[in-house]
Amino acid sequence: MASRCKLPLLFPKSLFKNLRFVHTEAAVTQPSYPPVVASLTAKSKSARLRQIDEQIQKICASPVEEKLSLITRIQRQKFVVYPQTFARNADRWYQHFTKTAYIPGLPEKFSVDSGEGSSPSPADQTEITGIDGDAFAEIRALVTRVILQEHCHMNKKRKPYVYKHQEQQMGPFLKNLVAELTYSLAKYNPLLLSSSLDFSPQVNFYWRRGQRIIPKGHRKGRLEPFRFQIDDSPHSQIRITQQLPQFNPMEASYTADVPLVPLAPNLMPLFRRQYDNHIFTGAKLPDPACYGHTQFHLVPDRYHRDRMLKQQQSDQVEVFLRANALASLFSWTGAQAAYQGFWSHEDVCRPFVSQAVITDGHFFSFFCYQLNTVALSVETDANNPRKNLLWGSQSQQLFQTVQDGEVLGLNDGVIKLLVQFLMNRP
Amino acid sequence: MAGQVLASVTVSLTKLPANGNVGSVSLPSVPIYQLGNPQLRIFRPNWFLTLVRPGKEQPPDTAQFRVPMEMTKYDVKNYLEKIYNVPVGVVRTRIQFGSNKKRNHLNQKVKKPDYKVAYVQLAQGQTFTFPDVFPEKDQTPAEGSMEEMQNKFMEDEKQRQKLDPRRGGVTEWFGL
Repeated sequence: MASRCKLPLLFPKSLFKNLRFVHTEAAVTQPSYPPVVASLTAKSKSARLRQIDEQIQKICASPVEEKLSLITRIQRQKFVVYPQTFARNADRWYQHFTKTAYIPGLPEKFSVDSGEGSSPSPADQTEITGIDGDAFAEIRALVTRVILQEHCHMNKKRKPYVYKHQEQQMGPFLKNLVAELTYSLAKYNPLLLSSSLDFSPQVNFYWRRGQRIIPKGHRKGRLEPFRFQIDDSPHSQIRITQQLPQFNPMEASYTADVPLVPLAPNLMPLFRRQYDNHIFTGAKLPDPACYGHTQFHLVPDRYHRDRMLKQQQSDQVEVFLRANALASLFSWTGAQAAYQGFWSHEDVCRPFVSQAVITDGHFFSFFCYQLNTVALSVETDANNPRKNLLWGSQSQQLFQTVQDGEVLGLNDGVIKLLVQFLMNRP
Repeated sequence: MAGQVLASVTVSLTKLPANGNVGSVSLPSVPIYQLGNPQLRIFRPNWFLTLVRPGKEQPPDTAQFRVPMEMTKYDVKNYLEKIYNVPVGVVRTRIQFGSNKKRNHLNQKVKKPDYKVAYVQLAQGQTFTFPDVFPEKDQTPAEGSMEEMQNKFMEDEKQRQKLDPRRGGVTEWFGL
């Protein structure tokens, strides 16, 4: 016999043909048909997913202005978050809504220098970069002048009516203080020369976080995201042309703990409304001063610590300040990030940093915020280890009283912190 | 007895009903408050609060009460603080409408009474969870009792009714 193997009747020549091209790679052929994807218009879940995907691609591919208008296009019921709120323990809820971890005390940049309280000798103030003893004495005199102007020299014809005290007395005081400090420190900090100082600006931000199952109605049983809107108007703010440097690297925020509140936001109490969604930093998109530096907030009469004391809610004073700083700074930094084209499906690649000073005329509290992530919606937050960070200080008195044209008990620590905040630059 | 200090409840403004039906009001013939009147104080109020289990989950510092319709937020706060020494932060109230839809066998509408619900947020970091008032009892009967023998008998009967497990659920009428 010639061979023992069973060959087929018709001997195939392809046996040898295949051996010829074993060591060469197959030529890449262009597909002759378009890729098989889910339908776009069918009434199915995959069609809905594809529609959502296409919308996300469209938003990512469009320029910033169009991006903002596409994100805020559709009006739906949303929770209106007020930075200055009467709700108890609001700071825990706001931390959950914005995925922020609170770190007591200020970052090392500020806390190392302001370790001591009020030290009267100007020789200790040389630690602030660029400000020597004489300059600090000048600033001290400036602050004294501003305090005396409002409390002594202003000829007030009548006492402010009820609930108008902060607006009519402390408002102008803070305005003068901010304006004078900014302009006098502009010669030490060139960033402030090209900055923009706004009074009563509007700051808005719109975002989604978490979801719920709709309990009743024609959409019952479906998943709906929680939508939030902050409409804030700080007393004043400084916007700059360059981004402030980060306090901590983004990776350091992975270990921070954010309180998780499993309950629905309306139990806070928080109320829903439907109106236009706004994202605004205080100036329109083409403005060159698109990054934030410092915000100044005034505590209104309703939340003044004396009134809280009368209602036996003194422990809520610090909570209120924290919640205010958190919401205001998150909305400001979030809007700054949105102006640069970052939204929940395109997370920020560098942290956005801003500062805030909250005061009621006597007590000053300082806060620093670092926005590490803006991807807070359910799909994007699933594997997101980044968290936003808020540093905050305890409230300190700027001065004790004003007596016979003299300011008693002027706290240098507070002035130092103010100066450091305004001198912060990249 | 004479020197005993009674717990007083500082009351806020409560309106008398227009038809003057004094019988349903807990404060007999209280004049309406006018500017300059002294603060109204009630000793031994005739109001009773009911602590209820919340229907929807509430935050841990919130307790839910059913209160009489005449009480206001400030009344609830003072009541709990002065009589029970509970540190109250803030109180929110709402009136729950009782349905008037059900009809009886004479086709008359039957009204379920309205009631006021107060959500009390506690101060000083205190929390409250409604206790389990009807805990699950262990159903196993005592050893050697009648119930245990009956249960065992029922189980044996059920076992006898079942088919041979080796048949794998196939019914009796399949087979030889």
